[in-house]
Amino acid sequence: MNSGAGIYFDGVTSTRRDVVVELAPDGLQISGHDGRSWAQWPYDEIEELTAPDSILRLGRRGSATLERLEIRDPAFAAAIDVRAAYVDRTGGTRRRERMRVIAWSVGATVSLLLVAWFGVPAIAARVTPLLPVALELKLGDAVNMQVRGMLDTRNAGAAFECGIAAVEIPGRAALDKLVRRLEAAAALSLPLRTNVVRRDEANALALPGGQVYVFRGLIAKADNADEVAGVIAHEIGHVAHRDGTKAVLEGGGLSFLFGMLLGDFVGGGAVVFAARSVLQSSYTREAETAADAYGTDLINKAGGDARGLASMLDKIGGATEPGAKILMDHPETKARVAAISKAATVVSPLPFLNASEWAALKNICAGS
Amino acid sequence: MTSLDAGGIATGGGARFLGQRRFYWRLLIRGAALLMFTLGIYRFWLVTDVRRFLWSNTEIAGEALEYTGTALELLLGFLVAIALLIPIYTGFFLAALDMGLFGKLSGIIAFAALGVLGQYAIYRARRYRLTRTIYRGLRFHQEGSAWGFAFRAMLWWIITVLSFGLAYPFQLASLERYKMRNTFYGDLGGRFEGSGIALLLRGFPMWVLLLAPLVLAVRGFFGVDWTALADAVAQGGDDVMSKIEGGNPGLGAAIVFAMLMAGATIALAALLYPAFQAMILRWWASGLRFGGIEVRSVLRTRQVYGAYARFVGYAMVFSIAMGAIGAFVLGVMGTAVSIGRVDTADQIATILALLIGYVVTALGFSTIYRATVLLSLWQLGMESLQLSGLSALETVKARGRPSSALGEGLADALNVGGY
Repeated sequence: MNSGAGIYFDGVTSTRRDVVVELAPDGLQISGHDGRSWAQWPYDEIEELTAPDSILRLGRRGSATLERLEIRDPAFAAAIDVRAAYVDRTGGTRRRERMRVIAWSVGATVSLLLVAWFGVPAIAARVTPLLPVALELKLGDAVNMQVRGMLDTRNAGAAFECGIAAVEIPGRAALDKLVRRLEAAAALSLPLRTNVVRRDEANALALPGGQVYVFRGLIAKADNADEVAGVIAHEIGHVAHRDGTKAVLEGGGLSFLFGMLLGDFVGGGAVVFAARSVLQSSYTREAETAADAYGTDLINKAGGDARGLASMLDKIGGATEPGAKILMDHPETKARVAAISKAATVVSPLPFLNASEWAALKNICAGS
Repeated sequence: MTSLDAGGIATGGGARFLGQRRFYWRLLIRGAALLMFTLGIYRFWLVTDVRRFLWSNTEIAGEALEYTGTALELLLGFLVAIALLIPIYTGFFLAALDMGLFGKLSGIIAFAALGVLGQYAIYRARRYRLTRTIYRGLRFHQEGSAWGFAFRAMLWWIITVLSFGLAYPFQLASLERYKMRNTFYGDLGGRFEGSGIALLLRGFPMWVLLLAPLVLAVRGFFGVDWTALADAVAQGGDDVMSKIEGGNPGLGAAIVFAMLMAGATIALAALLYPAFQAMILRWWASGLRFGGIEVRSVLRTRQVYGAYARFVGYAMVFSIAMGAIGAFVLGVMGTAVSIGRVDTADQIATILALLIGYVVTALGFSTIYRATVLLSLWQLGMESLQLSGLSALETVKARGRPSSALGEGLADALNVGGY
């Protein structure tokens, strides 16, 4: 078969021309039925373009116009395929290209996951110490506003913080005494703000900028002031290590990696959120151990009994971070308790509060 | 020059869709699997494949369209968009830290700015798609200012929201006029002749049906004694609810009624949505003009309902399958828990299993939606077209240059993409 019918568009006008296509030795000769020559395409300049299955649509590589030649006869299309180097109707070229793309994307995915697992926490840990305290305070205010919005359930109109009503003032004084002793031993670069708040979970948390919230559920569960002091010392550890700021940077980095770079391909931030929780909880575990060590050390320095932190942890199952409870598990808690008990070295510790002060602290949320 | 057909295919006055559903399913399912394994990076290739399939299988007046965009262009556009968006996001992040007035307003400013940017992206993305659309050896192109479109669109959205949706037909008509008078096939200029009033008249019964329950619900609250209610809330105390109830015997009934009415509106909206979509599609297609070429759509509403029915059918089968697999996996994990051999690694494995389950489910539904509703809308939309004045097609001259894919990248990064 040396020639066949085709439809030709010259790329300059939309005119549709029925043409005769000839398989010349060095290329396609495209001419009209009247013998007028429209174009000559060398075989190595022909490319195949997308078209319905029944049509072979050809274009000219590197052409300034969009000239097109369409062949509808399958036998003639096959004859062109044999001669033109860049036409491959079997799709083998396209498949090989596609496999390359898939291999590279999977590679990129693995690399991104490695960045998320190792890179993001490493960057956050390096950047956090470089942040000025003033910026951390601002960040803390912003985070504080959000956290309060989430935690403050406005139970029956009472204030979020305990220690404001008249019956609660002695409790507030006891808390201040306890925190002053710890803060003096800690010598932090920013002022600590510690509050007991109306939440019934046995929990406490430290925000960037030195804000520490102790939930009233924790005070209720504590048997003595040393246990409360232990938990606060642990939280001061987070403040000293600037873990809150680190967490904000890590969260931002992960959201950026998974949210924006990868696109929201399943139409919901749920995946990003879940991936973030898994990754961040793995970062958190190290931070918790470090805060334990710091807290124990701080209580030792202040001359107190650091075993209070251990017994409190044992009681509440190690959940000193909200939302991380499912991942904070018993084996880790046991190891943490053992490590703290071992490091509690003060021989004759001085209690943080006397009996009447402890009774007052127990009543710090008595106002409602 | 002749208008006789070389291959024996009739060059009628309409459009045909030649694609096979089976092939499209295969393309989408393979794409969904790759999306999962590449955490979405593959989407540029999937989108390109989908467009190639849809375009090249759409035949208008005997000639198939051609899509010449490439996935690499989309990837590049996306990277450029990211480079532009990072400073903007960083700026808003820092502004949010600022406690002053600007910090408080930064959320609203960011919302508005990203809204305008999203509309900008939609217009630029349309330009990219048009300049990659080839028909009879000539490309389409789009002129006009994308910022002009973005501000127009934002203004219209505000008006539409303030008018409870009554201005929506006029918004569609106005924005479509802007798009189409800047759209060209070669040197053949487009325009849009659909009228907002006509669409409003056709859609008004639907609007009434959807809004009536909400109005009734709001009316139910007129009987409530608001000052007594405010007093009761301000007083607080443990018995605040009983005080509220005592002062307003009608309140409970009003709340229940409002919830019922809201439910009725949502159910009606879901039921009427295919009809709404068919109405808009018919109206839009019938308003398209290119020079002397006129378009008319005879799309039937029940065909669109058929597409949604197929979606519901496939989705139900898929849900049952996923439910069975999920029950099996959870059962295995539950056994592990009851043996008491659970450590942190197991829990992370559980969360990962849930995560994968979620992704598979979401991708499954989106694939089914694309293969049923979106493909059918494309096919029905095309096959319902009646074209006249096609002689104008013989003498169009080439014009326009390919544009960059920045708009596509922005639209992707801002999640406002289309086909």
